[in-house]
Amino acid sequence: MSRLVKKSPSLCVDLPLDNTDVCNKLRLLRQLMTSCYGPTGKLKLVHNNIGGHVVTTSTSSVLLAAISSSQPLVNLIKTSVLNHVSRFSDCGLFAACLCLDLIEQAKQSGLRGNVCIGLNRHFLAVCVSYLQREDCCCKVKLDFCSSHNLIALARSVISSKPACLLTEQETLHISKLAVQAFLLTLPCDKPGTVSLGQTVTICVEGHSVLNSAVFPGLLVDVTGVLCVNKSDNLSSHRMLLFSASLAGDIPELGEGIIEVSSGVDTDARILDQLLDLGKQAVEDDVKLFVCQKVIHPVLQHYLRSRGVIVIERLGITLMEPLILLTGAHPVATLHTSLQPKAYGKVRDLSIRQFGSKTLLHLLAHGESAICTMVLCHRNETMLSELKLVCQKTEHVLRLTLREPYALFGGGCTETHLAAYVRHKCTDRVTESAAVLGCSESEYLLGMDRFCSSLESVAKSLEHNGGNSLIDLTHAHNWTVHADVMNRCVEGSLGFCGCGLVEGGSSKKWTYLNTKYAEFSPAALTTDSPVQPRVLDSFTAKLNALQVAVETANLALDVRYIIKDVLDLARF
Amino acid sequence: MKHVNISPPSTVQTPAVMLRSTVINPRQPVGLQELAALAAVAHSSLGPDKRYKFIQDDTSGESALVCSCFRIFENLELSSAVAQLVHETVQAQQKVYNTGSGCLLFLAGAWSRAALECVHRGISVSRIISGMSDGFDICVDVLRKCSISTDGLGAVKPYSCTTTSHGLGLQVSKEPITEDSRASLHLRGTTSVGHKTLNPSGHRKIKLSRHFCQPDSKNVSTAPQPHQVFNVAHIAEGLSHGCVRAMNLVVEAVKLHQDVSCSTFDVTKVVTCVVPGLPEERACVLPGCIVLLSDEQASVAHHLKDQPLKVALINGDLSHTFRHLGFSRPAGVQHVSEQLALGSDEEEVWTVKVVALLLNLEVNLILVSGLASEKVIQHCCRRRVLVVDKVKASILKAFADATAGVPVTYATQLTKHCVGTGVKVEIRRDLGGGSERKSSTAVNISTGGNSGLFTVILTSCVRGKLQALEDQFWACAYRLHHALKDRAVLPGAGATEMLCVHHLRQRAVTAYSTQESSAGGAADLDRGVVLHLMADGLIDYISTVMVNTGRVSKVRARTVVSQQLQEHDGHVDIAAKLSQLMLEGENEDSDSKSSEMDVYDNVSVKQEAWRKALDLLFLVLQTDAEVITGVDQATGAQENLMML
Repeated sequence: MSRLVKKSPSLCVDLPLDNTDVCNKLRLLRQLMTSCYGPTGKLKLVHNNIGGHVVTTSTSSVLLAAISSSQPLVNLIKTSVLNHVSRFSDCGLFAACLCLDLIEQAKQSGLRGNVCIGLNRHFLAVCVSYLQREDCCCKVKLDFCSSHNLIALARSVISSKPACLLTEQETLHISKLAVQAFLLTLPCDKPGTVSLGQTVTICVEGHSVLNSAVFPGLLVDVTGVLCVNKSDNLSSHRMLLFSASLAGDIPELGEGIIEVSSGVDTDARILDQLLDLGKQAVEDDVKLFVCQKVIHPVLQHYLRSRGVIVIERLGITLMEPLILLTGAHPVATLHTSLQPKAYGKVRDLSIRQFGSKTLLHLLAHGESAICTMVLCHRNETMLSELKLVCQKTEHVLRLTLREPYALFGGGCTETHLAAYVRHKCTDRVTESAAVLGCSESEYLLGMDRFCSSLESVAKSLEHNGGNSLIDLTHAHNWTVHADVMNRCVEGSLGFCGCGLVEGGSSKKWTYLNTKYAEFSPAALTTDSPVQPRVLDSFTAKLNALQVAVETANLALDVRYIIKDVLDLARF
Repeated sequence: MKHVNISPPSTVQTPAVMLRSTVINPRQPVGLQELAALAAVAHSSLGPDKRYKFIQDDTSGESALVCSCFRIFENLELSSAVAQLVHETVQAQQKVYNTGSGCLLFLAGAWSRAALECVHRGISVSRIISGMSDGFDICVDVLRKCSISTDGLGAVKPYSCTTTSHGLGLQVSKEPITEDSRASLHLRGTTSVGHKTLNPSGHRKIKLSRHFCQPDSKNVSTAPQPHQVFNVAHIAEGLSHGCVRAMNLVVEAVKLHQDVSCSTFDVTKVVTCVVPGLPEERACVLPGCIVLLSDEQASVAHHLKDQPLKVALINGDLSHTFRHLGFSRPAGVQHVSEQLALGSDEEEVWTVKVVALLLNLEVNLILVSGLASEKVIQHCCRRRVLVVDKVKASILKAFADATAGVPVTYATQLTKHCVGTGVKVEIRRDLGGGSERKSSTAVNISTGGNSGLFTVILTSCVRGKLQALEDQFWACAYRLHHALKDRAVLPGAGATEMLCVHHLRQRAVTAYSTQESSAGGAADLDRGVVLHLMADGLIDYISTVMVNTGRVSKVRARTVVSQQLQEHDGHVDIAAKLSQLMLEGENEDSDSKSSEMDVYDNVSVKQEAWRKALDLLFLVLQTDAEVITGVDQATGAQENLMML
């Protein structure tokens, strides 16, 4: 019996950012995000309260997806970061850290809300226009003639996830594979609009990472079901692909009802129909019979006894790559006879063994941009993180096709941008402040807050108690280990975060987030043979920067939170 | 037997970060403490003397008797994330190797204490990880260097100098080696020792090396390939790790197996059959597949015995309602009938049809991997067709291979081509289970000797022990399987660990000295500390194993180990002394031979267990928070979680 519950009045929270509870939650979220950031970031164990499967991760997409909060502001930030990650894959943590830091800095600065928002927007524009300039000193143009920078880019993404637990050698191996897979998905010499191929990932648990490999074509898991007679290695095989289930059951009826008169064996009738299909396939010389879903064992038995290779339960994810590879048209019904154009073609069927998994290797008859990456790792936890990272890397590499640039990694872009903004904006305080409708001191304060947010993000790359420094020539980011004494700091600096600048006595450093006199960060001499070792995705980072500032501005702009408190009253 | 009440480790505080809640715990080593506490469970399951544990459920009053660390975790209710990770790791080890989970867990604990110590000394996490990875590489190197090829094993003591056995390159080829090439390998490897011709009956003119010049007469007489069996028995003895009885069964099984193929031990063709109520001495190995049948079925078997039978293999259930996986029954089907259904029982109709088909195909025996319905069994019994269900998939496959039968999913699918031939049924009266609830008859189903299938009968008067006995058998079987697959073993009884300790310490000293001499600085010092502590973890392992034999106290064990380490510069011969120490206790109940018994460990199992232990530790070490989803506000506040 339903009961009428009187609706309680809604709860309205004024100026949520002044509320300590809200602030505590935001601070907690910031700690959670910054502690994950970078190659030495800390991991989080994600599980439910009744002891389910444990995920070990430091990836923003997994972590944020697991979090749900009663606090709308937390959810606002979470959602915009997740949105960014779903479009660009990389720099999710960067966006989250910067956004939360900007909010905190804005609160501490005591600037009026709208002034703060205007200033943030202004400095963001300065950053974005600088990053897009040809002469921007913290980006490199990617040269597709050499794989060096591509591998460096892939490697930076892969090494930023410590839950993969890779050694140096393994990281390099996976980075090379990622680049190889990326190159295999680029179609060669195709006129007209180019569409990229796909990389399919197969995970094999219990093996060394160094056994991972990339193959052109498609590998399908056929463990335990296959007996391929390797004798007939014809150059090309006819194949047939079903998207409809061949399990022999009556398909979903929805709301309807079927009346069956007694004595009619529906199962047998459907099976007869299936066997007819099978016969036709055999007559048409099909060598490979694939179904997305289940195939009736009797049909399988029939086909196998006629020398056909049968693969069932292919799964939805492999359908598209298989269609692209073979040119087959998936058959969605068993009620018509097979059309000749439905058949696809494959070349060279062969078996590959990876640990306990048996994989059938299919090669395209013509040209195709499908490849398969077999990822091996010692255990499930690390493997699932590795898979995620590889997919992310693939995406990052693809983004370079649109904008063939990469930014210096290792925090150097952040410190460099901060130095640039300080230098650029100090020049024209008076005009800019007037345009933005604030006082000069407000302008300078806002600038300082914005820049130190950027620097804080660079600083949070260090998790082992070390110190972060900035050099006063190129404004790159440097770290020194905690046990290095103050006086010998200069001697112990090897390379900067991105590996481009080498330490030396001619340079001067200062600790990050201490005051330094503004200067114009110098470009490196272009003829330098040194290549940056750590690179970040240009596209992803640029967007993450915008997302972070916009989201922070939105959060700063929230005046009231109105909540329906019905639930709280009842529980 | 020891009564241990294992409740989730008591020294552990719940860490915390939570959905709806999220907590960051500033005292990061909590995870490591928890890992160390969980690992304490493994202490008593190390070494040759296994202790039983009772695990009791306070709420239901049920209890379980367990003997391996894998079973302990299976029976515990694990709510914390670290415990869950540990469980997943142990399961992964168990799934592939069937042994080594105790070692894994112990070292995960010992090394997490080492890591804790590092954290207390202010060494950064990344340095701990790189130091321990280096340490692991050193250990792997030691494992590689001190592994002994199984080809050279089994020699009688005076000849078995450890230096020659591995320098010879005996274990090179990966393809299955034919008898002849194997013999020639031996020849090449041992020219300096001189050969003797054995096997005077001499169907084969092979010169055998020193390893086989003093064959154990008992073994030779029973086995067609004397050197093989001699080898295997010796290796098996060394791998028994205290489960002598279980290992003897394995060796017997291998002897049977060797008729078919050699140099590997195919565990997939082994079945265990557990017979409660008989004394443990009655355990034995028999060729063929032995199953326990009800009286009714036994009478059918009685009719069928000693004649060649035709067999049908069913992959699934044998019942009219069974449908293959993935078949969905539509909800909206109504059956409409024009006349009153006159008791036409669908099941009856189906059963009659199936039985008719079977009789038509002259099938006498059906092996079913799933369940067979009671009705079918009855019908078949009446027509003298024997139905055996719950047959392991690998056994079904072995029968398919041996009889040329084809497994099918539905009985109605059977045709002449699918029916296998040449199966025999034999009744084993001696194994009749005298269980009080229902009497059962043991029936041996075999395929005329060429299937390679055999059954291990495990017996015990104590029902609760059967599971542990079965586990022990499988652990031994897999140890031997892996030894033959690796074609190498390690010196056991702590000798390998001692060598690792030695090398780790040596490297630690080098690290200290470079730190002093060059500008290497703190990094080298830290590395030295990490390596040293890692070595301590291994010492802890060795001494715990010694303590578990019950003869020495922890203090004495540690003293002995450090004395040995000082006296010898890490040579393998310390192994002999150590193993004697550990085995002192066993001398009384076994003959004098065991005092000089070689003890071996598996190469791949040990390496993988150590690596898994480190992987687990690294994950926990790098973790600073847990995110728990689905915590409600009230419990969150209660348990002091931080809610997000």
